Amino acid sequence: MEIKLKKYSTTYIIEVVGDMDLYSSFELKNIVAKMITKNIRSYVVDLAKVDYIDSSGIGVLIHIYSTIKKSNRILKISNVHGSVEKVIKLTKLSQYFPIVGSVKEALLQIEQTKKVE
Amino acid sequence: MMFEHKEIIIDDNNKLLNRENLFYKEFQSDYRQVRFFSMVIVQKAPPEIKEINLLEQQISELIKNAVKHGNKKDINKKIKVWAAFDTNFAHVIVEDEGKGFQKIEEWNEFNFKRSECFENQDFDAMEKYFAYRTDESDENDGGNALFATLEYWDGGVVFNSRKNCIAVYKNFEKKKHGIDLNQQGD
Repeated sequence: MEIKLKKYSTTYIIEVVGDMDLYSSFELKNIVAKMITKNIRSYVVDLAKVDYIDSSGIGVLIHIYSTIKKSNRILKISNVHGSVEKVIKLTKLSQYFPIVGSVKEALLQIEQTKKVE
Repeated sequence: MMFEHKEIIIDDNNKLLNRENLFYKEFQSDYRQVRFFSMVIVQKAPPEIKEINLLEQQISELIKNAVKHGNKKDINKKIKVWAAFDTNFAHVIVEDEGKGFQKIEEWNEFNFKRSECFENQDFDAMEKYFAYRTDESDENDGGNALFATLEYWDGGVVFNSRKNCIAVYKNFEKKKHGIDLNQQGD
């Protein structure tokens, strides 16, 4: 698994590339934990290039979302597809996770939330 | 109970624990090779099975639980796997040499409450039920694998009474809207 960071305005796009499995998922957790200490307010986790997720990966998504929410920051998860979408459905978390179709949509929604604030 | 609720069955005589006509493989409890073991098993599945990624992931969770929670990653302990696949089903049994998942009843109860919250879309209450944890869980345990196991393996999830052996069964739907090549040219 590889993680690429891009910045758009004040939002960080975290692009995950490869499998989010028992061997690698913790890397995403560590990166987000570091970013939170740097006071970054809004995040997009883009899963366009993730075709495989297991319970460790789901655990990391739950962890980062609840941490981000608790500290009043914003997270969107984009491009969930294929077996990743299926596993999220099997775990019944499709409604809970802030899933959006694309990075563009995620950025738009984040901008709107910030305007309201 | 207003919603469909599934639970793990404990029954030594359940037909899912019958190993007849299943192929057999055994592995050492090497945590680094959990996904490899799962691929060794899943490669026996016929190519007609769609979503092979998902099948591999689901088998991988069973093997991971056996290696990590059952055998405590003790390389001298074995994981035994029996399996059979066809275009319309997958049947897998995984046994470890550990002391067994003794908290199945507690887990079933936890899962019942979880399903209730999810059914009511009660997101605040749901947060308590995202992960099932015991004293032995570590930070890398998602604590959510068995919820998906129970959903995915729609033909049942059964443990033996020692609770160190799990059997699961999945029905695959027959393709409903396909072009029947044999009909072409009629």
